[in-house]
Amino acid sequence: MLPTNTHILFHEFDYHAPTTLYEATELLAQYGDSARPIAGGTDLLVQMKMERRQPAHVISLARVNALQGIALNGDLTIGATTSIRDLHQYLTSKLQPPFASLQSLGEACNGFSTIQIMRMATLGGNLCNASPASDSAPPLLTFDARVTLKSKTFERVMALEHFFIAPGKTALQADELLTHIRIPRPPHQSASAFIKIARVAADISQVCAAVRLTRDGNLIHDARIALGSVAPTPVRAAAAERELIGQTFSAALAEKIGKRAAQEIQPISDIRATRAYRQHIAAVIVRDALLRAWERTQ
Amino acid sequence: MHKKTIHLTLNGEAREWSVYPNELLLNVLREQEYLTGTKYGCGIGECGACTLHLDGAPTLSCLTLAIACDGADILTIEGLARDGKLDATQQAFLEHSAFQCGFCTSDMIMMTRALLNENAQPSEAQVRDYLRGNLCRCTGYASIVRAALDAAALEKQRAEPSAAS
Amino acid sequence: MNYQILGNNYQRKDGIGKVTGSETYTSDVILPRMWHARVLRSPYAHARIISIDQTAAKALGAVVLTYADVPHLKYNERIVSIPPHLFRDRTVLADKARHVGEAVAAVAAPTEQLAEKALRALKIEWEILPHYTDPADAQSENAEPIHDAVLLNGEMKPIENNVAVARTVNVGNVDEGFEHADFIFEREYLTSRIYHAQMETKSCVCDPASDGSITVYPTTQSIHNTRQLLGEIFNIPLHKVNVKRVAIGGTFGSSIQMNSIIPICVALALKAKHPVKLVSTREEDMYDHVRYQTKLKLKIGVTRDGKITAGHIQALADVGGHNIQAYALLSVLAGWSASLYKFPHLRFEGKAVYTNKTPSCAMQGFGNPQATFAMESLTDEIAHELELDPIEFKLKNYVGLGGTFWGQGPSVQSIIRSDGVPQLLHDGAQKIGWRARPKAGTQTGRYRHGIGMARGFHTSGAGAPKPGEVIDYSGAFIKINEDGTVDVVHAMMDHGGGTLEAIAKIVAEELGVPIENVGISPADTLTTVYDVVTHATRGVYAGGGAAHKAALKVKQQIFEYASRVLELQADSLVIEPDYELRQGVIYCPNFPERRITLGALAKQLQINSWGTMAAVESLRQVNCPPAFVTYFIDLTVDTETGHVTTNRAVIGSDCGTVVNPAMAIGQLEGGLSKGVGYALVEDNQWDAQTGQLTSKGFWIDGKTPAISEAPFNENIITHFSDTYEPSGPFGAKGIGEAATNPCAAAYANALYNALGIRFTELPITAEKILRALNAEENREARVEMREMEAMAVMQAAE
Repeated sequence: MLPTNTHILFHEFDYHAPTTLYEATELLAQYGDSARPIAGGTDLLVQMKMERRQPAHVISLARVNALQGIALNGDLTIGATTSIRDLHQYLTSKLQPPFASLQSLGEACNGFSTIQIMRMATLGGNLCNASPASDSAPPLLTFDARVTLKSKTFERVMALEHFFIAPGKTALQADELLTHIRIPRPPHQSASAFIKIARVAADISQVCAAVRLTRDGNLIHDARIALGSVAPTPVRAAAAERELIGQTFSAALAEKIGKRAAQEIQPISDIRATRAYRQHIAAVIVRDALLRAWERTQ
Repeated sequence: MHKKTIHLTLNGEAREWSVYPNELLLNVLREQEYLTGTKYGCGIGECGACTLHLDGAPTLSCLTLAIACDGADILTIEGLARDGKLDATQQAFLEHSAFQCGFCTSDMIMMTRALLNENAQPSEAQVRDYLRGNLCRCTGYASIVRAALDAAALEKQRAEPSAAS
Repeated sequence: MNYQILGNNYQRKDGIGKVTGSETYTSDVILPRMWHARVLRSPYAHARIISIDQTAAKALGAVVLTYADVPHLKYNERIVSIPPHLFRDRTVLADKARHVGEAVAAVAAPTEQLAEKALRALKIEWEILPHYTDPADAQSENAEPIHDAVLLNGEMKPIENNVAVARTVNVGNVDEGFEHADFIFEREYLTSRIYHAQMETKSCVCDPASDGSITVYPTTQSIHNTRQLLGEIFNIPLHKVNVKRVAIGGTFGSSIQMNSIIPICVALALKAKHPVKLVSTREEDMYDHVRYQTKLKLKIGVTRDGKITAGHIQALADVGGHNIQAYALLSVLAGWSASLYKFPHLRFEGKAVYTNKTPSCAMQGFGNPQATFAMESLTDEIAHELELDPIEFKLKNYVGLGGTFWGQGPSVQSIIRSDGVPQLLHDGAQKIGWRARPKAGTQTGRYRHGIGMARGFHTSGAGAPKPGEVIDYSGAFIKINEDGTVDVVHAMMDHGGGTLEAIAKIVAEELGVPIENVGISPADTLTTVYDVVTHATRGVYAGGGAAHKAALKVKQQIFEYASRVLELQADSLVIEPDYELRQGVIYCPNFPERRITLGALAKQLQINSWGTMAAVESLRQVNCPPAFVTYFIDLTVDTETGHVTTNRAVIGSDCGTVVNPAMAIGQLEGGLSKGVGYALVEDNQWDAQTGQLTSKGFWIDGKTPAISEAPFNENIITHFSDTYEPSGPFGAKGIGEAATNPCAAAYANALYNALGIRFTELPITAEKILRALNAEENREARVEMREMEAMAVMQAAE
């Protein structure tokens, strides 16, 4: 149990509050591995209190305006320090088709444990934390989201799918920041759904699943399925997706695909659920999410 | 690790603090300002006991660095009553006995206040959704929901003095 | 009965403080020159300390304490049991860690940051010993002793096989009883170790004075017991130990004892010569206390027409690393299990075993949620198997009005003189739609619906005609101020349920003054008479009883003095509140114009130098009437996820006269919330390898149900019986613990109704439900066979 003290933040560090992206990346270039950016702080400060991370430099992104906000310009571009609550409000109030089909991301945002966490936590922070149980990652994976990573001298864009490496580990280099998350314009006739199962409502998921379906008449034109808390990183269920494409949608098909997706994952047993339970639930919620998403395409 | 001087507004008053980077907003409020109405519950954002308003939004002060509050506007439970008059949320909690031990009462009231700021006439479902991150181990929440719903009504009543009176 | 004050709702006296954030809890106490403490806690489940190097810590300017620096007197933190039954097995700091989180050293420094730094600078050399997280392993032949011996009544008592204590109770001849049975049912029930999860972590502030006296602001349910134990441990005369009552952020039984951090804080303050504040972190607190895990094996014999002939109860309780009250627990486990039913023959065998885990202690019900889960599950099952309505079966075998009852254990005999059970069962059944409930095991489809019921109780206190194994009495001091207001000086703690509000109401009712004129004085041990502790659902009944006794004395004085002033016979006078004058008014109904307000009377007394109207009284209640509660739960199970939704909960209470209606309802609503957690969610698991909590003490994984798990308000239906307890103040008895006791069984029975599956292990998580459903599905082909086997077993018993 020792040594932790959640009553205070024992760990000592220097604090930097850059106001431009350039300053922020310069600080990262300077301090490298000994630095950690902080946005909402709801993951980082907890990890520091639990003695899991001990950065000598904490670089606040709160005052870097370039990282904030949501813009719709062909793609939907979300600044990394946009709060989950702002994103949720944007998704549930402002979007027209085809972006209205991003329902699952709205549902995932609302599934964040509490209102306070939703307000403090940021989308970029949630992704950079690289928790296998991230709620925001599965919907983004089904949208083929891409992330922009920026260092002082270089900028690169990669598919979110390649961003997650392991629990707590991403493709970010020590001098890079995640600046934006970009969701390409969704296809017409598409819809999505997100379902999360947890012990209690305000909790980390035992399993979560997001699906996105694109319809062509009664046929499934395209399909995406992604799950959380079932592998070291949030994952797509590619084989299950393939079996959907070109098929006529039916409840029986959804049932079959749910089971197929469950076979693809490799969950572990931990304090929140056993492997067997996760596997069972994955089939149920993938099926239910498929049914819900299909209904939404109508 | 060096102290830094920051300026902020606390319950409507200007403040200057000198803080280390690792000082938490919660502890500065409690130990330097003697504002102990905001509580430590779990230290990791799971219970909501440390909830206050930062720039108008409900915030967990156990996961907020004080140093990050330069220029911020902070409202705690102690700043809610104005001119000796209880806020409608406080009045409703009082009238419904919507507390037992009272340790979560500050955070429940601050959350209810934040909800009413966003949504003046919430439904029971909306109240329950908004308070989902605030633990109460005594009441079972029912009286808190009654108080929150009644606070909305009370506030409406205060805003529109009835023609009859 | 008509009351002026009882039964009405008023703004709580502690309300303004609580809604404005100005109420002072222990963790809010800030004193000049105050230092901060931190405790070094063992990372090992069982380990002896070889050495502690304090050099680096002291160099930082901290005060450091280890076992060598503190008194070595063995104590038991809960001094409610009388000395012959008080097992003392711990010291202020340990020389051997018996569970992860055991305090072995402590530091104090001007800031918490510095204290933490000093704590981490302590170097400890450990000798790691084999540890046991399972009571079965701890009892094995060659197991390492967790305690060699404990102090009992002044003598060292050896501990064998890590069995802390064992008890047997025999009523009649159980073998004979089973011979008369047509059917015999046997089941084993296992309950979980759950954390109290009180919102405020255990804390203490100690202010030492230069004359050797100390003032202590602790998290506690008993200021007097805390004082006495501190006086004993530190050898300070009691008049120099003042323990203050401060508001308490939830306890649920976790602070019946003088918490072990309190003497640590005191020792630090005495050494530092500074006030010292010790606030437990949440992770420390989660390693500090837990509800007793119990395995209960029940065997009940019944006749064909549903009469119980005999019962055999075997209980195994997991004590953890220290024995706080296992002896008392075994006693009440017998009582909670059996005493509502007429058992002509009964045998109880209980055993409590040390393990290397967090010490177990009372938690809302003290063994009763465990026992009631088992008993109310099995009686439901028996009724079902006999094709009787469970309500009918329970009433058929119910002790009932006038019956002798021993809820607190066989040595605490009580007589049921108020009984709301039949009414509560009748009303509850109607409100839930009991007759229209599904037939168990007949549903198919994803969502299945079930209704279950359970009955429970808790005793109001532990009083009895003769002294028992536990101390139970209260005291109150009441005085009339010179303006007619009243000060009530009472040592009782109010955990938030409104105990002190109730006491104020009882006093106001008896004295005939407006409730606003009665003040609850701040209390400490220097100015109050002894009250044992706010526990055992005794606050209103016993604490209120003492206040009522003192109020009666004061009332007598009021009439005597008023008779002098009014020139009327004292016996002809009455006093009642006048809400326009805001005073109690004394008059004679025959001559209503001759009247005087209490304020004018008190002032006249002062002018005449006649003295103050005041009384101090102690009271031991000679009864401990059961406060009954009934639960009817209507739920839906999602058979694909195992998740349970509560549709409706109907909770009935017999608390005698309802003193605080809003707060009584609050007790039932709170009891449901905690009961749901116990039934379906909460489970503190220990890693057998390390002896650590799998949650590591972080609330991320120590989840309790919150507002999202609670039913909407219109679906929580509370109701009360019309009862009057003759031995209680104005007919009142308790409610608090009873409010949660039957909840888990009602859920288990409702789940049976929905699924046709019996759950015997708590918590009944979604995952367990799903597993059971799958097992059931696999068995479906063999259902007929199983039923035939069951028939054969039952016939064999005939």
